[in-house]
Amino acid sequence: MKLLKRGAESEIYQATWNDSNAILKIRTPKPYRNSTLDSRIRRHRTIREAQMISRVKSFGVPSPLVYFVNIGDSSILMQEIPGTPVHDLPDSKIIKLSEDIGRLVATLHKNGIMHGDLTTSNFIFYRDRIYIIDFGLSQNSIKPEDHAVDLRLIKEILNSAHAQIMESGWKNFLLGYKSIVGSSRHAQILHLVSEIEGRGRYATVV
Amino acid sequence: MLGLGIESTAHTFSCAAIEKRGRKGRILSDVRKIFRPDKGKGIHPREASRHHVENSPAVLSQCLKEAGISIKDLDLVSYAAGPGLGPCLRVGAVVARSLASFYKIPIYPVNHAIGHIELGKLLTGAANPLVLLVSGGHTMLLAFLNRQWRVFGETLDITLGQLLDQFGRSIGFASPCGKNIEALALSSSRYVALPYSVKGNDVSFSGLLSATKSAAAKGNLADACYSLQETAFAMISEAVERALSFTGKKELMIVGGVAANKRLSAMLKEACRRHGCNFFVVPIRYAGDCGSQICWTGLLESQVKPGVPIKDAFVTQSWRLDSVRVDY
Repeated sequence: MKLLKRGAESEIYQATWNDSNAILKIRTPKPYRNSTLDSRIRRHRTIREAQMISRVKSFGVPSPLVYFVNIGDSSILMQEIPGTPVHDLPDSKIIKLSEDIGRLVATLHKNGIMHGDLTTSNFIFYRDRIYIIDFGLSQNSIKPEDHAVDLRLIKEILNSAHAQIMESGWKNFLLGYKSIVGSSRHAQILHLVSEIEGRGRYATVV
Repeated sequence: MLGLGIESTAHTFSCAAIEKRGRKGRILSDVRKIFRPDKGKGIHPREASRHHVENSPAVLSQCLKEAGISIKDLDLVSYAAGPGLGPCLRVGAVVARSLASFYKIPIYPVNHAIGHIELGKLLTGAANPLVLLVSGGHTMLLAFLNRQWRVFGETLDITLGQLLDQFGRSIGFASPCGKNIEALALSSSRYVALPYSVKGNDVSFSGLLSATKSAAAKGNLADACYSLQETAFAMISEAVERALSFTGKKELMIVGGVAANKRLSAMLKEACRRHGCNFFVVPIRYAGDCGSQICWTGLLESQVKPGVPIKDAFVTQSWRLDSVRVDY
């Protein structure tokens, strides 16, 4: 099998499933980690990811199809989405797509799911649709605080990796987010985002 | 160029002299006095600042003597203007302003955290690294982009240094406790399950702190230390791996007091190997707070800026490093 990418916690291989292209994602053991802790994390995240990828489809969030799950080696065989990560798109495109991304994230939240790892490389743009991947850190949660943690992360990523388009990207994201969750929930979550930021080290004390 | 740097953000009062030629710097002297609180106690800002006031003249003279220079030889003086404990910061600022105004030397306020990074780059030779800054005041993952250090991940509550110190103090160690915890952890390999909290590229340690305290109260201290280190460092290593794969950086540099921990370095080294990434760790003597980090950053600043007027040479307790524009 051909190694496509070595991610932070997994290795991604090119594979096939019933003659169609597939991706094999293996959460390989980390030798530097205590083995009890290591297997707990890998097992937990594999199960969680497989469940969530399937669940989100039921309320219209595009994600890869899961073909096969192997708890033994913490691997998931899933559909390949041959698009481009939003992270690698041109700035103007990212600004435009931010609103759609906001809507998708809001749809997850509205259905009681926090993604837990909302970086721009976890959204894949393919045939005019955005697919969400990497549900290993996701949680079932309707808590506003958890949803705010999601928003803060994407804000942090915009602010670092996409600093030059931070303002317009974040504005569009919120526009999309608000259109799904409604303005009072939107205001509540945004307030919590600034509360979390305020808890950060040396955040400006107002 | 000959610079003097003054560090006094927290427990350390330090003066250092560096001679800069082109892009190279040679540390002529780096003298420190560290405030040590009683066992089980933290740094009280008033006590620490009194310590700094009492020790500053001796540290300064020793620094000049070891470097073999006199104040009149200095081209500039820089001081840590934040972030840090207000009363402590002010001591360093007062010393710097006195020298600057009496001897008419240009004065440069320096961000302490940027200082850790710049000194790390000077001493390790890292060119374009992802930086892990781990100390009592910071736990941050940074990369340089568009004239600023940008945060790719950080702690959402307490820092790694605070986690180790607060746990260490609760079992009766004297701050800083990292060394004692590391030593005790070596005698155990029994892992007690503790909460592991990675949120995207960010980490959160407060739940881990409470859980480790209760594990220590119920069980064996060495097991608690071992499990605390394993869990916290695995969290950091995962955040590092996430940031490496997201940014595609080919260098990792660790700076800050906790960089001295051998178990953390070993784990990060292994994480870097997986990503084909070069690993740099600042030499132990310069991992913690020191005058050199302030002096070197001041010298770099002087390449592009004149010093500030004395009336603007103040301190800022909450001065985040991602708000500093870097032009050199």
